[in-house]
This record gives sequence, C-alpha cells and structure tokens, in this order.
Amino acid sequence: METFVQSIVSGLLTGSLYAMIGVGLTVIFGVMRIINMAHGEMVMLGMYGAFLSISFLKVDPFLSIVLWIPIAFLIGVFIYRFLLKNIVPAGELNTLLYTAGLSLFIANLVLLIGTGDYRTIKLKYAIMPLRPFGISVPIPLAIAFGMAILITVALYWFLARTDTGRAIRATSQEPEAAALMGVNVDRTTIITFALGTALACAAGVLLAPSLYLYPTVGEILVAKCFVIVVLGGLGSVPGAIAGGLLLGVVESLGAVYVSVPYKDAIGFVIFLLVLLFRPSGLFGVGKS
Amino acid sequence: MKKIIIALAIFLLFAAPWIVSAPFFVHLMIMVLMWTVLGASWNILGGFTGQVSFGHSTFLGAGAYTTMILFLKLGIAPWYGIPIGGLVAALIALPIGFICFRLRGPYFALSTLAVAEIIRLIALNWESFTNGPVGLLITTLPDVTFGGRSIDWENKVPFYYIIAVIALAAIVATYIMSRTRLGAYSLAIREDIDSAEAIGINTVQTRVAALSLSAFFAGVAGGFYAMYFRYIDPDAVFSIALSVEMVFIAVVGGLTTVAGPLIGAIVLVTFGETFRQIFLVGHLIFYGLMMMIAIRYLPEGIWGRLRLWLGAQH
Repeated sequence: METFVQSIVSGLLTGSLYAMIGVGLTVIFGVMRIINMAHGEMVMLGMYGAFLSISFLKVDPFLSIVLWIPIAFLIGVFIYRFLLKNIVPAGELNTLLYTAGLSLFIANLVLLIGTGDYRTIKLKYAIMPLRPFGISVPIPLAIAFGMAILITVALYWFLARTDTGRAIRATSQEPEAAALMGVNVDRTTIITFALGTALACAAGVLLAPSLYLYPTVGEILVAKCFVIVVLGGLGSVPGAIAGGLLLGVVESLGAVYVSVPYKDAIGFVIFLLVLLFRPSGLFGVGKS
Repeated sequence: MKKIIIALAIFLLFAAPWIVSAPFFVHLMIMVLMWTVLGASWNILGGFTGQVSFGHSTFLGAGAYTTMILFLKLGIAPWYGIPIGGLVAALIALPIGFICFRLRGPYFALSTLAVAEIIRLIALNWESFTNGPVGLLITTLPDVTFGGRSIDWENKVPFYYIIAVIALAAIVATYIMSRTRLGAYSLAIREDIDSAEAIGINTVQTRVAALSLSAFFAGVAGGFYAMYFRYIDPDAVFSIALSVEMVFIAVVGGLTTVAGPLIGAIVLVTFGETFRQIFLVGHLIFYGLMMMIAIRYLPEGIWGRLRLWLGAQH
C-alpha cells in the first residue's frame, strides 16, 4: 500500500511538470493548428538556462525562472515572427517538417557550443528527501511541483479573466469569427506562441535539478509531450493538465508494477490506443 | 541526351572507387549511397503518398537486426541476410500500416513516432534475442570468392559495390513506381485522399503497399549497415534521429522525384561527414538548417528545382 501511495505521489510530482510542457504545446496547437516538433528543445533550453544560472551567475535555478520566462517569451516572439510566420500558411505537414528541422538545428547548436556531456545540477539543500507520512519526496521535485501549480493557476487566470486570454480562447475556437469580433488574430498568435514557448522553458528550468541535462533530451521530452496532449485532446488546456498528471502516474505505477525498462513504452501504447479509438482525447474535448 | 547522361551516371557509379581510392572518400561514397537508399525508401512513402513518417528507423533496425541475428545465430551469410532483412521489414510494415493509416496527416506522423519508440524499447529490453543495450557484433565476415579471387572484407571497395547495386535498385524501383498504377494511386492520395477514395481507389491498401515497398528498402539498407559497421545496438539503428535524417534527405533532395534522394544524400551526407571530421559532434546542425531553408524557399527540393530549370521531365 505504501509503495502504491509512493508511486502515485512521485507520479503526480513529475506529472505536474509534464502538464506544464503539454499545456504549452496544446495552446500553440489550439490557436495555430500546428504541431511544434521543436517544443522539446524549448524545455531543453530552459534546463540549460537553469544550469547556467547556478554555475555562472550563482543564482538558485528556481529563482532564475523570473529571468528565463521573459527571455523565453522573447525567443518565442522571434521564432514566430522571423521563422514560422511564413511557413504556417503552407500547411500543417510543411510546418511539421519545418519545426523538425528547427528542433534538430537547436539541439545540435547546443551540442556544438556546450558539448554532449551529461550534466547534473546539485543543490545544497536537496541532499535528503522530505518524508511526510513516510513517503519520500525529493526537495527539488517538491519545489518544482509547487511552482508548476502556481504557474498553471496564473495561466488559467490569464486565459479565463484577461482580454488577451479571452482573445486566445476565441481564436482557438474559431479564428474567423474571432477576427470578425475585432480580435487581432496576428497579435494573438504571436502571444500564444511566445506563451507556449515560455511555459516549456519554465518547465525545463523546474525539471533541471531532477534530471540529467544533455542537448538531445528534447527528443524524448517532445515525444512524451505528444502523448500528453493527445491523451487530453489536442487544443484543450484542462485536457493537457489531466494528461500530464495521468502520464506521470502511469509511468511511475508502470515502473513499480509492470517493469522499469518498459515504463516509457506504456505511455506510447496508451497514446496509440487513444489516437485510434478516442481521437478527440480521453475526455472528449479536443479537436481532431 | 537523357540516355547518355543516365549511362554516364551509371558508369561513374561503378568506376568511382578507381577514380578516387582514398579510404575516406570510399567511406564517404558508401555513406552517400546508403543514405540514398534510405532517402529513396522514405520518398516512396512520403513523396508519393504524402504520408509523413517519423518512424522509418523501425524498418532500418528490423533489417539490421535480422541480418545480424541470422548470421550470428544461424550462420546465414549477410549477403543472404540483407534481402531477407528487407523482406522482414516489409512484413513488419503491414500491421503497422493497417494500424497507423487509420490516422491522417500529423496524427499519422505522431503514431509512427510512437510505434518506433515502442519497437526501440522492445529491442533494448528483449535481451535474450537482441542482446539489449550491449548490441551485436560481427568479428569476421565469412570468406567469399568472386571471379576466382577471395574478397578482402577489410577493404571498403567490396562494400561500395554492394551498396551501389542496392542504391541503383532503389532508384530503379522509384522510377518504376512513378510509371505504374501504384504511383498514380499514391499521387492521387497525396493530392486529396477523400477524392481518391471517392473515385474508387482503395486508399488503405495503396498506402500499405507503398509503406511495405518503402520498408523493404529501409530494411535492406539496415542489413547493409549491420554488415558494413559490423556492430549494431538499439540506439544506433532505432533512433528517432535516424528517422528524421531520412525525411530530411528526401525533402531536401526533392520529393516525388527519382533522383532527389541521391542529390539530397550527396549534399547532406558529404557536408555532414566532413563536418563530423572537423568538429566531431553536431553535424546534424546542417541538416536542420537545410531543412528549414528547403521548406521555406525550395519546397520542391534541390533536384525538383534543378529539374524545372533544365526543363526536363525526370
């Protein structure tokens, strides 16, 4: 029983970060109808951002997030304005291939600059895990979980309550009608893409102290990310949150009760089953 | 005129190891031709039917493991193992096709990625069969006499001729496909799958047939990979990066064209391998960059554009 609770808890902790990455991808899909293959690289950049903060600026990675979120937002604006804007009208498959190229470019650029060594971030206060109720909770993951919840709630409030947030949701539902209602679709698209990029990058910063860093880590993360958004229904923010938590829990239960080596495969099998039998997602809210 | 050029190209293909015999260049040409086969394989599916697969390393890996396991466990020589590897890959493609082709566009692409990851994880963990992450190793290739002489497998030239024949076969297969019903049906599916269905084309069967043919060549190239490098492991032959490289070679060279994969492989592999000699890592940066440039400015690919300029048909 304790093992079961333990795996649920660790699953939810990791799942909260998966959810953040997934929400980033899903808002971009919702508004732009593109699948961003370079999304994992944004997470990777966030992880390296955290690494740079602690090794050069001597700033705690969790604090450095206030620096990296705006930078990532600007990177997102740049990528959309100068790279993606002209590609998106050429169709979803072209965009898919283009972002695959972008993904390979960014990963190999980091590989060239920073070498392919595996790196870790060691935090002084994170040697022993917390043990509430006999359940082991690693401190970096606990902090990341708390911050992920804060960021997700803030995003929810932004989407639900602000004018820009309403514009994003309107464009996501029906771009033409939104344009007729006076929404500046172009500006909304830029903001959405930058927001999705910033979320991925922030999740990377939060994940960095709990994972190994290497330039091609984005490859695995983006594959997981597709699983998450398809589970929750492409384009749906609550779906991506649920999908992220679900994948985290499924992986950690799978590692305990099925097998450690196959835990990553379980996610992909569920992904295929959902794609085939519930293409609008487990909760039936996505757009297929 | 066209016939003369083709005859000249085939002559050059087979005379090349005599013209430049430095081992690095022979290795480079072998890599170019191996990637030509892989690009042609992807082109048969992606170029003709328009179905973007991000999971073609599955077929490469299936061919590589088949060739390797047949040799190590049953003593079947790789030159028999290579075509068998292709057939195994073509067979594996059937169930994958029937499952994944229920999905369209980007959803199909994502499903192939998932299938490839599942198969990579199986290869990594089914240790009794694949030797897991340790991989499989051939120490010596069996003796063969050709034209009265024993072939020296330490020399790269025999490998060059094997892959040259395979590459020629892949290009000829693409040409034949472009001239037959399978090619015409595939193009109809690429242009508009619903209309293709409406005029009576069995779109699932056509796509599965194209996938299977495509998988055959990826499997053959995988078998060659195993024989040439004499070592394979799941991350080497089943990686997402390999699948993506195949896509890039086909797209940069020119989709749906017969010579596109060759041109794409010449450009990308030559630069990539040279880059690797200098910087050791990160040679795929050029692949990514070329892909972005190609999609933005050259959607018909290098060969597609050249062909327009030359005003020729093929």
